[in-house]
Amino acid sequence: MKSTVPSPVINTIALIGNPNCGKTTLFNSLTGLRHKVGNYPGVTVEKKEGTVSLGTRDVTIVDLPGTYSLSANSPDEQIVSDVLFGRIPGTLIPDLVIFVADATNLERNLYLLSQIIDLTIPVVVALNMIDRIKDAGIDINTTMLRQEFGVMFIPMVASKGVGTDLLIAALDKVSLNKSAIRQWSVPEPVKVEHEELVSMLVAIEKMPEPAAFHEAQLLLSLSGPIESNLRSLTVETLSHIKMDHHNLQKLGVNRHSVFVESRYRWINSVYKKSVTHNIARRRQTFHDSIDAVLTHRIWGFVIFFALMAVMFQTIFTWANYPMELIGFGFDFLASRVSHIIPEGDLQNLIANGIIGGVGAVVTFLPQIIFLFLFLGLLEDTGYMSRAAFIMDRVMSKVGLHGKSFIPLLSSFACAIPGIMATRTIENPRDRLVTILVAPLMSCSARLPVFSLLIASFVPNILVFGYFSLPAIILISMYLLGLIAALTTARILKSTILKGPTPAFIMELPPYRIPTLRNTLIHMWERSVLFLKNAGTIILGVSIILWFLATYPKLEHGTSSQKLAHSFVGRAGHAIEPVLKPLGFDWKIGIGIISSLLQREVFVGTLGTIYNIEHADEANTSLKEQMQKDKDPVSGTSSFTLLTAICIMVYYVLAMQCMSTIAVVRRETNGWKWPAFQFAYMTLLAYVGTLITYRMGLWILS
Amino acid sequence: MPQIIMRTLAEIPAGTTVTVSHLDSHPDTCNRLREFGFCENATIRCVSNGSSQLICEVCNTRVGLNYTTANAIVVLPSHE
Ligand SMILES: Nc1nc2c(ncn2[C@@H]2O[C@H](COP(=O)(O)OP(=O)(O)OP(=O)(O)O)[C@@H](O)[C@H]2O)c(=O)[nH]1
Ligand SMILES: [Mg+2]
Repeated sequence: MKSTVPSPVINTIALIGNPNCGKTTLFNSLTGLRHKVGNYPGVTVEKKEGTVSLGTRDVTIVDLPGTYSLSANSPDEQIVSDVLFGRIPGTLIPDLVIFVADATNLERNLYLLSQIIDLTIPVVVALNMIDRIKDAGIDINTTMLRQEFGVMFIPMVASKGVGTDLLIAALDKVSLNKSAIRQWSVPEPVKVEHEELVSMLVAIEKMPEPAAFHEAQLLLSLSGPIESNLRSLTVETLSHIKMDHHNLQKLGVNRHSVFVESRYRWINSVYKKSVTHNIARRRQTFHDSIDAVLTHRIWGFVIFFALMAVMFQTIFTWANYPMELIGFGFDFLASRVSHIIPEGDLQNLIANGIIGGVGAVVTFLPQIIFLFLFLGLLEDTGYMSRAAFIMDRVMSKVGLHGKSFIPLLSSFACAIPGIMATRTIENPRDRLVTILVAPLMSCSARLPVFSLLIASFVPNILVFGYFSLPAIILISMYLLGLIAALTTARILKSTILKGPTPAFIMELPPYRIPTLRNTLIHMWERSVLFLKNAGTIILGVSIILWFLATYPKLEHGTSSQKLAHSFVGRAGHAIEPVLKPLGFDWKIGIGIISSLLQREVFVGTLGTIYNIEHADEANTSLKEQMQKDKDPVSGTSSFTLLTAICIMVYYVLAMQCMSTIAVVRRETNGWKWPAFQFAYMTLLAYVGTLITYRMGLWILS
Repeated sequence: MPQIIMRTLAEIPAGTTVTVSHLDSHPDTCNRLREFGFCENATIRCVSNGSSQLICEVCNTRVGLNYTTANAIVVLPSHE
């Protein structure tokens, strides 16, 4: 006889697991997408969707941040429980969970698995990193695990795509009607109270049973006043919970730990039955000695700063050659355009406005690529967490902890992923402080600005053998950003965002040889993004700027007089009084204003303005034009080494980035904090530059 | 009666293996620690112990913590 109930079909699958167990790697291999993978906990901090084809049907699959439990200690972990309990509007509760477990670290992974099974959602376990269990000296009996948990365990190597076909086949076989059974139990009196509360939550609070089962555990083990936990429960339930707390206390039960302990006790017994350890730890001791050096309290810092120094020096030396090539390419293009298009506005627009502006920025692509190569290597080897670990000592002095260092380090690439990465920080105040200071870290958009100024005005002298003066100035700028960020954090943490220094605990993943593929994909994506910006924002700004710098036209006079007569020239002269104290002339002022949107526009703007100003001369590079630029009144150079340093200091400290403001608004739910941030950073930049300029003048005199 | 010496994890020298006796801190911190594998009776191997922070191995994973956190973990000499 056939069943009349249509058998349910899978619509959404969620990937859940501990941090750094390979969820995104598996997601990418199932969907063909290329989301970011890295060897440290907390790479994924958002919900990401894709589709996977199950034979004949396409099904939505959701990649989620990693979490150790469903208790939701931080915003990224919150996303996981929100998805599982259907608290996100417009998102369905997943019909099936692929639980990704790190086979080398099963005991802890099984804890979360058992919590998921409690929710009565059908589960298939992807037993990932099987390639590493031999080295770890572990043997796993999957049949036993399957028997005990009542769910399928599929051994996999997600990074090599091994086992994905078996996993897909298993998904097809899972019965959505039947879910695994809750196996662990708490001592009898606790069980009674728990069951009572569950039925109450279902009856009075109208919670679905699985959610109530989980919620009741949280409520019973809650510390602090229940009312302050922002749960909108009825008075009846609240008073019942208070009574439960009282009862458990009387029975001598530690209600805070009884659930976690009971669960662990059960898991431990299963673990002992199904996993055997051999005593083969040769590799482990090898990793021990690497860690002993890299996290040493002195050597750790020395190595960290040496790595940074080598990174920036290398960015300079290696990127130079391809940069010159690109520069030649654009010069050639400009000269071809001048031949093909007859003299006039159109020629001027294309050769000076567009090629001058966009070309000036695109030239810096190689440096950006190298920066991302280095950061990618740091992320993939497992060094990232170690850097956070050693930095905890410094961070705790400013009232934050080591975890805040990962967002700061990511902000070397770009403040946006940096700010997103703060979602792993448990304490809301600490997270806010980290968000507020992250844009002070020098991002890749500042690199073109720094490089242009350094290449033009800092003499290329070798110091300390490998390092050159330009690289040292560059490193100083990055350090200035770091020091400014830490000092600001310190001030914020002791004034408006006061709070104790939080407890620090962080997983340190095993060292891995980075996969070239991951790094290349990441570099490629960042390059495309950079070129896209150049092709849209910078192109647009260049065109508008060209117009404003060309009209109204002055019929007679040198091109420099024409520029001064244009809209840009007039606007520049109008704002000059504000910038004079900083030693900036009006052209720099225009550069700064046009780059409010995005920092690298500064380079494009100077490219356009100088090209227009020097349109009557033979082709010279932006660098030479800047070096030769003279103040029309006094005849002194308008650009000196001091000016260059002042501009760099300004860019280190100023918040010139619309996208960052938008992300901060989203992450802090309002305009208050981005407005505060913009204000304090602008003020800091102005004052910082003023001090630098005055001190510079004083030293020179 | 022989006195069993209880120490916190922060006092354990590198290379030593110990067992967790109990956790002594704010309940939220304790539960966070348990989720990381520092539950009662868990075996911990101390990998390195610096002046204010340490690295240890629990459940086959390396975990870094500072002394404030490590002081919440009360340990006994391992019976294994
Ligand atoms: N040896 C080995 N490494 C793997 C395997 N699967 C993933 N990795 C590596 O494990 C690391 C973490 O992978 P991710 O996919 O970023 O992990 P995740 O679970 O998404 O991490 P979060 O987003 O931080 O929670 C990366 O360095 C991967 O290359 C595997 O099967 N074997
Ligand atoms: Mg991920």
